[in-house]
Amino acid sequence: MTIAPERLSVQRVADVVSALRSVLRDDQILTSKPDRYNRARVPAPFPVHRWAERVPDLAVLPESTEDVAAVVRLANDLRVPVVPRDGGTGLTDGAVPLRGGIVVDVKRMNKIHELDLDNRTVTVGTGISMLKLNEQLARHGLFYPDDPASYPCSLVGGRIGTSGWSLIGSRYGHTRDLVLSFDHVLPTGEIMHVGDGIGRKITKSSSGYQLKHLFMGHQGTLGIATRATLKLFPKPEAELSPFWAFDNYDDAYACVGALARAGVATFAGAVLFDEYKVAYLRRDDEAYIPQPGDVRALVCAAMYGYEDEVRPAGKRLFRIAKEHRARYLGDEISEGDWAARHDRYATPLHGRTKAGQVVPMSWHCEDAAINYTNLPAVTREWHAIVADLRRKTDVFDDWGMFAYTNSVTGADYLTEIDVGIWEQHLDDAAWELWVKAKRDLAAVSLRYDGSISACHGSCREGEVDLVPEELGRGFQVMLDLKRTLDPNNIMNPGKYLLDRAYAENGGDR
Amino acid sequence: MKDVDGPEHSPSYPYRYAEQYSPPEPARVSDVAITTFEHVYEVDPRLMQRWVLQQTFPNWDSLRIMASRQDHLDWMHRHFANTVVNGSVLLAEVEAEDEANPPSTAAPQQEAPR
Ligand SMILES: Cc1cc2nc3c(=O)[nH]c(=O)nc-3n(C[C@H](O)[C@H](O)[C@H](O)COP(=O)(O)OP(=O)(O)OC[C@H]3O[C@@H](n4cnc5c(N)ncnc54)[C@H](O)[C@@H]3O)c2cc1C
Repeated sequence: MTIAPERLSVQRVADVVSALRSVLRDDQILTSKPDRYNRARVPAPFPVHRWAERVPDLAVLPESTEDVAAVVRLANDLRVPVVPRDGGTGLTDGAVPLRGGIVVDVKRMNKIHELDLDNRTVTVGTGISMLKLNEQLARHGLFYPDDPASYPCSLVGGRIGTSGWSLIGSRYGHTRDLVLSFDHVLPTGEIMHVGDGIGRKITKSSSGYQLKHLFMGHQGTLGIATRATLKLFPKPEAELSPFWAFDNYDDAYACVGALARAGVATFAGAVLFDEYKVAYLRRDDEAYIPQPGDVRALVCAAMYGYEDEVRPAGKRLFRIAKEHRARYLGDEISEGDWAARHDRYATPLHGRTKAGQVVPMSWHCEDAAINYTNLPAVTREWHAIVADLRRKTDVFDDWGMFAYTNSVTGADYLTEIDVGIWEQHLDDAAWELWVKAKRDLAAVSLRYDGSISACHGSCREGEVDLVPEELGRGFQVMLDLKRTLDPNNIMNPGKYLLDRAYAENGGDR
Repeated sequence: MKDVDGPEHSPSYPYRYAEQYSPPEPARVSDVAITTFEHVYEVDPRLMQRWVLQQTFPNWDSLRIMASRQDHLDWMHRHFANTVVNGSVLLAEVEAEDEANPPSTAAPQQEAPR
């Protein structure tokens, strides 16, 4: 049994730096305070008053798979924690070091290595952003459709580390469908290629275990993806993104279900906005401030394809919306709002005290996967939990809920409650309230047969306590795998309750 | 005063401080928001008196922010697809078809029981 030590002493940090100098250049090793603090957090609210506890001892900037492997091998030998970090936009604290150690920042590994026009694949370093990649692909009429709301700044490696969710995933699939294979550095520093079978560009294989899924969504606890081969599509000729208003939630809920079930091939996704979300938008969003008072819920749909496909299919969706008493919000709002969804960093980050005064807040969101039929009940229960928080303190503000289709059949939805958090006023007491609320929100998702996270992962305080309950026997398998692949618990230690894998007798079973 | 703009720029105008800091008279649009220039909305100043104070922006900057936001959104559209289909056109076609062939006689849309 080996557990990485809590924090490194100053002397050990110096030893690690000098050991790293044998495998990296000096400019690839960062030890200054700004370099380390800037790699200590992610945009999700966290206890700012305890920021110093989450700072790495140093960061490195590898430039190749071999660099990454050398760093990890060395860290494994020296029993030093390693935290992979890409865009740092993750919302479950995955890239936040809990035990110091080395942050492996892969942003310099951002090259396009091979564009295969005949097989429609591209092979890239995992430090590239989808936006920069698509700028290059557009010259060839091609498109890589992994499109999170953090599109301009999340990177391919972080998409692999979280097994991300895409706004247009109902049409093109999510990260796990779009990444065909990748080079991966295991926690011992060995290099492995993982894909369907051993193929680099194979989209379906039945050879051996399906390891690709195991090495996605592990939040950096099973190693580091360094070079990935991705599936490409023609750049869409046409886009349609109608937004409709409703005077009640029930009609909007029925409408979003009908749109998703329509089985239209160019359908890329539909979104339901509840009354709380509309109320939030009315405070700060220029599209919704002037809307009449009877706008109480919204639905939008997005379609991509050739124009001669999108037009007739779009009419079909308009007809469905009409049958559900929808009012079209017009081209300007529809087109502008959809374009803005690819970049939610632009949302106003201020909330209100109960007295109505504006306060600076950061954004947190819960992101469960919930079946269509359970959406209304989960929506009600989640708002009740946040209302209770708000009753106790002005630190929290309910910014409303969205439900986005998870797939083309409309079976389940990425169900999101957005909560504003006044970070400057977070103290231990408020943080405890918050952690309890997160646990309660996750418990509701499980009670309704959902999953705690469709999108970001579930390793933050609060929700993580319920992961063993969600996965059942599967959680023990997770512990067994972790212990086997990472015998010294160096890879992102402290996440996902995986320390239990190293407890006496192999965990608390 | 020497005109510093090159030939490719529009001629420069003297910067009049008072003019820049006099936006159009605000009009209330809701309980919590006001509007000044067309499409420019602001939080009601009464709600920004304690924790976050409202900043004064010169007019050119308010208009620049609004216009560049629009540029950003236009860029996003071009980035994701070559053309944008206007929903209003499709809606007009649906309305026209329904008028010619009222929905009661049209085939019903399939919907699962609720
Ligand atoms: C405004 C906003 C909107 C968002 N919208 C979405 C959305 O629509 N869909 C969605 O899925 N997410 C969304 N997110 C969350 C976040 O963008 C995603 O989780 C994204 O996949 C993280 O990518 P990143 O490059 O920033 O990774 P990071 O935050 O750097 O890392 C994420 C996790 O992956 C691990 N990791 C990083 N690099 C690697 C690597 N090379 N190999 C293995 N593991 C690695 C890290 O250790 C960490 O655990 C949003 C975030 C923000 C701030």
